[in-house]
Amino acid sequence: MKLDLANPAWRQALPPARSLAADAPVAACAFSRDGVSVAFALGDGCVRIVPADLAVAPPDPGPAIHRGVVLSLVGDPAGDGFVSGGDDGRLMRIAADGSATELLEQKGKWIEHVAAHRTGAIAASAGKSAFVVKDGEIREFGPHQSTVAAIDFSKDGSRVACAHYGGVTVWSIGQVTLPPRRFAWRGSHVALKWSTDGKFIATGTQENDIHVWRMAQATDMRMQGYPAKVKSLSWTADARFLYTSSQPLFTAWPFAGKGPEGKPPLQFGDEGAGLMTVVAAHPTAEFVAGGYDSGELQLGDIKTRRSVVLKMADGAAITGLAWSPDGFKLAVGNDGGNLLVIDLRR
Amino acid sequence: MASPQSLPQVPVTVLTGYLGAGKTTLLNRILSEQHGKKYAVIVNEFGELGVDNDLVVNADEEVFEMNNGCICCTVRGDLIRIIEGLMKRKDKFDGILVETTGLADPGPVAQTFFTDEDVKARTRLDAIVTVVDAKHFLGQLEQGSEAEEQVAFADVILLNKTDLVSEGDLEKVETRIRTINRYARIFRTQKSRIELDAILDKGAFDLQRILEFEPDFLHHGHDHDHEEEIKSLSITADRPVDPDKFQKWMGALLQLRGPDIFRSKGILAIDGAPRRYVYQGVHMMIDSDWGTPWKDGEERSSKLVFIGRNLDHDNLKRGFEDCLK
Repeated sequence: MKLDLANPAWRQALPPARSLAADAPVAACAFSRDGVSVAFALGDGCVRIVPADLAVAPPDPGPAIHRGVVLSLVGDPAGDGFVSGGDDGRLMRIAADGSATELLEQKGKWIEHVAAHRTGAIAASAGKSAFVVKDGEIREFGPHQSTVAAIDFSKDGSRVACAHYGGVTVWSIGQVTLPPRRFAWRGSHVALKWSTDGKFIATGTQENDIHVWRMAQATDMRMQGYPAKVKSLSWTADARFLYTSSQPLFTAWPFAGKGPEGKPPLQFGDEGAGLMTVVAAHPTAEFVAGGYDSGELQLGDIKTRRSVVLKMADGAAITGLAWSPDGFKLAVGNDGGNLLVIDLRR
Repeated sequence: MASPQSLPQVPVTVLTGYLGAGKTTLLNRILSEQHGKKYAVIVNEFGELGVDNDLVVNADEEVFEMNNGCICCTVRGDLIRIIEGLMKRKDKFDGILVETTGLADPGPVAQTFFTDEDVKARTRLDAIVTVVDAKHFLGQLEQGSEAEEQVAFADVILLNKTDLVSEGDLEKVETRIRTINRYARIFRTQKSRIELDAILDKGAFDLQRILEFEPDFLHHGHDHDHEEEIKSLSITADRPVDPDKFQKWMGALLQLRGPDIFRSKGILAIDGAPRRYVYQGVHMMIDSDWGTPWKDGEERSSKLVFIGRNLDHDNLKRGFEDCLK
């Protein structure tokens, strides 16, 4: 895997890309598990699916999948399509051809967060509860003390972590019902990512800091110094670094060895115009993509600390970033309804 | 944060009022009437509204303490999420209405619009509207502090169900409201009937009006100040304000007395500044901006308004006078 961050051409113009316009803001974007399609969750209820291959013409947009806003989107772990959640309270499975079937409906609730695991399990939050859909069965976990604000699977897919006011609750989703494990920290937790090696759970809080729990010892740490809520967290594939949004630079906390306690985070890149809104670590290599509230898009390499600004600011905040499973393509969506698929292969 | 701040801010109206005062009736009218405007309505109980409308969002009143050492810093976590979600919609709104439950303290709702950066970037608190039940208000005051506090927070009061009481009783209720909050605009209504223009999107809490308006009818025989009672007062000054001294004084005052001060508002003639400096706050939080320019030859005077408990007028006046040039 090689991405040429020193490629002079990229400083002049975007690499080969597909650019489309939608009528509504992008809430999220995702690649299908097979990497063939990209989907964008939109504020008009549509999930726009386009081929990842730039040479294949995109089909016309399909009808709306949700009756309101599509709030969450992941690649379907059990197929070549996607799974989306909406403010109409429905969790939908969307095939690659755009046809949709309902997996779950929670009237009056918003399906705000969705996570998927390669074992085929799908987790979704609806109000104060989490729901896990697996092997055609739906199970409810909760209610929690407040609305679930983020959700993620453990590395092996046997557990689901839910962020809420007062901390994180981890549920075992196997057939044997085990009591949940609670990790308490005062305040409202608004983002959550389980580390790619399964050893840590990181959250972003309403008070502009990061909280990380070590699963084995149930010890925790807090990292401060952000000017805004950290709503985007991304662990590197090797779990050595946790990238966080809400800084002008790429900001990575080192988790190899003794962990980040007492150390400053690694910061690199061009000081972006504004703050980073979304950060996505590369699925296999040491690269990272960051989108800014100004619309700027930046790629970085943690090893060389080099970076390249792929797209200058155009005003609309970047709201979605996703790498293809092979790591050669990057999907980008923004608040202005711009949909972008970039091919970074040399 | 270059771009979010340049986005248009949607005005938010907070609707409070004791149980049965007429909030739901008002919301139903806003949702069903042809007014050519599009409002998102955030309610607590779906079922109460008779209108099936996808712009109605159910909220859970999740009051979160901010883990930042500030004792009265509570926010509505659910509102933060809901507003973020609403802003993802294709269709934009002319306004957002937030209903609070009958017994809720309006503080956390209002503070949400001062605290959360994302919410602040996309919305602005336009006004707190309190619906008062003319028939039951005096009785509700006896039952706890909620009815009184809801009136204290208000920028606009709908004195509702006026058809159910005599003119004399209505006067009594209105006088009682004025002892709590002299500065809110009061509309007498029946079945919550009111021109929506009168209460929605009034801009910056009607600040200008508040400061030009000084009701004096209370000064006749109503000076029975119990210290624990909620009251409202104003302080005026003709000399220009030293901005640094004012900031220091106001900051310390709100830090110390924030829990007791429900609302604070003001227009300041800052020394050497061509524009009015306007601010308004809820408890410890304050939001300020430059207002309209002073006209040539216009008398440049400043005015502060406080609504709260245990307010010591002389002490506040002395404090403010120390901030003058």
